Amino acid sequence: MKHSVNRPPTPDAAEDQGKEPTLQEIINIKLIESGEKERLMELLRERLIDCGWKDEMKAICRAYIKKKGRNNVTVDDLVHLITPKGRASVPDNVKADLLQRIRTFLMSAAL
Amino acid sequence: MCAGNSLYTNPKPCKHLADCKLRHGFNGYDSLQNCLKTTPNGRARVDKHNTKIPRCNFCNGSQGRLYICLICSSISCSSHILLHTQFEKGHEVAVDLERSELYCCLCRDQVYDPDFDKVVVSKQVKDLPGGSKSNGFEGCCERSSKRKRLNSGIGLDLKKSKLLISMRDRRAKSCYPLGLRGLNNLGSTCFMNSVLQALLHAPPLRNYFLSDRHNSVQCRKRSGEKVCLLCDIDALYSAMFSGDRTPYSPAHFLYSWWHHSSNLASYEEQDAHEFFISVLDVIHEKESKMLSSSKDDGDCQCIAHRAFYGLLRSDVTCISCGFSSTTYDPCVDISLNLDMSNLSPSDVTNKPIKPDEKTVVSTVSGCLNLFTRAEKLGSDQKLHCQNCQELRDSSKQLSIRRLPLVLCLHIKRVEHSLVRKMLRKIDQYLQFPFSLDMTPYLSSSITRNKFGNRIFSFEYENSDSCAEYEIFSVIAHSGMLESGHYVTYLRLKNQWYKCDDAWVSEVNEGIVRASQCYMLFYVQKPLFYKANEDMRCVRTSPCRDLFSSTAGCS
Repeated sequence: MKHSVNRPPTPDAAEDQGKEPTLQEIINIKLIESGEKERLMELLRERLIDCGWKDEMKAICRAYIKKKGRNNVTVDDLVHLITPKGRASVPDNVKADLLQRIRTFLMSAAL
Repeated sequence: MCAGNSLYTNPKPCKHLADCKLRHGFNGYDSLQNCLKTTPNGRARVDKHNTKIPRCNFCNGSQGRLYICLICSSISCSSHILLHTQFEKGHEVAVDLERSELYCCLCRDQVYDPDFDKVVVSKQVKDLPGGSKSNGFEGCCERSSKRKRLNSGIGLDLKKSKLLISMRDRRAKSCYPLGLRGLNNLGSTCFMNSVLQALLHAPPLRNYFLSDRHNSVQCRKRSGEKVCLLCDIDALYSAMFSGDRTPYSPAHFLYSWWHHSSNLASYEEQDAHEFFISVLDVIHEKESKMLSSSKDDGDCQCIAHRAFYGLLRSDVTCISCGFSSTTYDPCVDISLNLDMSNLSPSDVTNKPIKPDEKTVVSTVSGCLNLFTRAEKLGSDQKLHCQNCQELRDSSKQLSIRRLPLVLCLHIKRVEHSLVRKMLRKIDQYLQFPFSLDMTPYLSSSITRNKFGNRIFSFEYENSDSCAEYEIFSVIAHSGMLESGHYVTYLRLKNQWYKCDDAWVSEVNEGIVRASQCYMLFYVQKPLFYKANEDMRCVRTSPCRDLFSSTAGCS
């Protein structure tokens, strides 16, 4: 028997889309479609600037670039550098506020 | 002359981007331009389909950074963008959807192209509410005919002043620089002495008076007035630069000034900054009478304005629609509020921030940042927005449209104490630099920031004026509000001197840095170095008349 006969069927991209979207995806889609995500992003940006988080990240990037040399750093390096630090240092009050707003939105969207 | 910001140069496109442009021209940029959407706070996003969520062609993900290929407009996420380049030869450049920035897949890094930024910015300007009427993107339309070469005429007479005051000191090997002399306190006049010391050594003023640009004989003939403050200042310069080191009593000057500012004529301790403004006022009034011109301050040729005139720009933006209106205000100095929120940089990079470890260090750059920060006006200060046609919440942002030759920073150390219902002095220590780069606070920098730091230049940006300054004088205050004392520190030929009324002494720069600064005087770098070159010789001849011809120094 030829191996090609027993080969399992090639996964079809179209079939993948038939999978049930996760809850996270559904919420994301709802947020984007209603324009709420855009508003929340703007609010989040403002809060992170006000509490000095953006300046902290900028300073970390600058220090790294100084150490490595300006021409040896790529955007990807910087993203990989500050993503974990950034996620960890978001102030709790900002997190709580954003979560509250998402909850409020979901409650109103579910109605 | 330093042209623009010497610490930063615009990055060039990478060679892949350059190749791509050669092959495809601006087709990619132009077709993308129509898809650019601007958010109210100035970010540009690429939005091809208003309703559909952009997804990566390879993994269908919609999180993280998504890129759209410049050639075929297919979307990939940052993990799979390399695959796209491998499958399609020549599709090397893409654009970050969220940020409208170019990305080169082969360099694996963000790249920059002034042509691309021009496309983005022109779309953003087109989209601004009110079109090109809104905001000062007047860089595009304004003609550069207003280039003012402020230092023309001020530096040219140095040769003449050199002739008049150059005589080698044969007695002492180390001598104080020219013009260093104590001023006697005539009864709580340290506020006046401190400002005079600073003005005496401001290079434009020094050059002007020492090259006899205000001749008292001609002045009396022309105006016929008995009392002329400029003549008194001229006499003061002659006395201070005569080479005589005994403390001088500026009684005549004080009397003259009382004449002009009778409301301030008293023996009470007064505010040095108020005195400074009043002196500049009097100089301007007197000179504009003589020049008999009614030009606005920007073109005013009086020495006070030629040295200190600057232009502040104020942008008021409606928070709802983004429409902004711009006004310009002249100024002779910048009054700064103390920035209390600053973190010292070392804390940030070494360890994670813990709330109790924050140290409040106020710096001049922190204060300038505070000064130029976009400030949300309270809801009780709603302004009428021309675009929305009603009262709206707005934000206001200051920036510097034109820098003066001599920059005076005034630190506001007086505040109203709500608790005690009276004025209170703020003793907060302020760290200040000896070299100051004002580029980030210029209107051009602030406006660039609004458009996401794009690469473009304004027509009115002139390379004659330098944004880099060197400090030459510090007026420090000690004591309480009602009963304090002013001293001036002068920086001459890289040596600091303390002028405490009649007592002049050499001091360490550490002492200067540790002082409680109240007014800081900076001068544009080229003028600073030129001024320090000429202080080589000291005159010690007993003859006090500066204008008699003397044997030249060898």
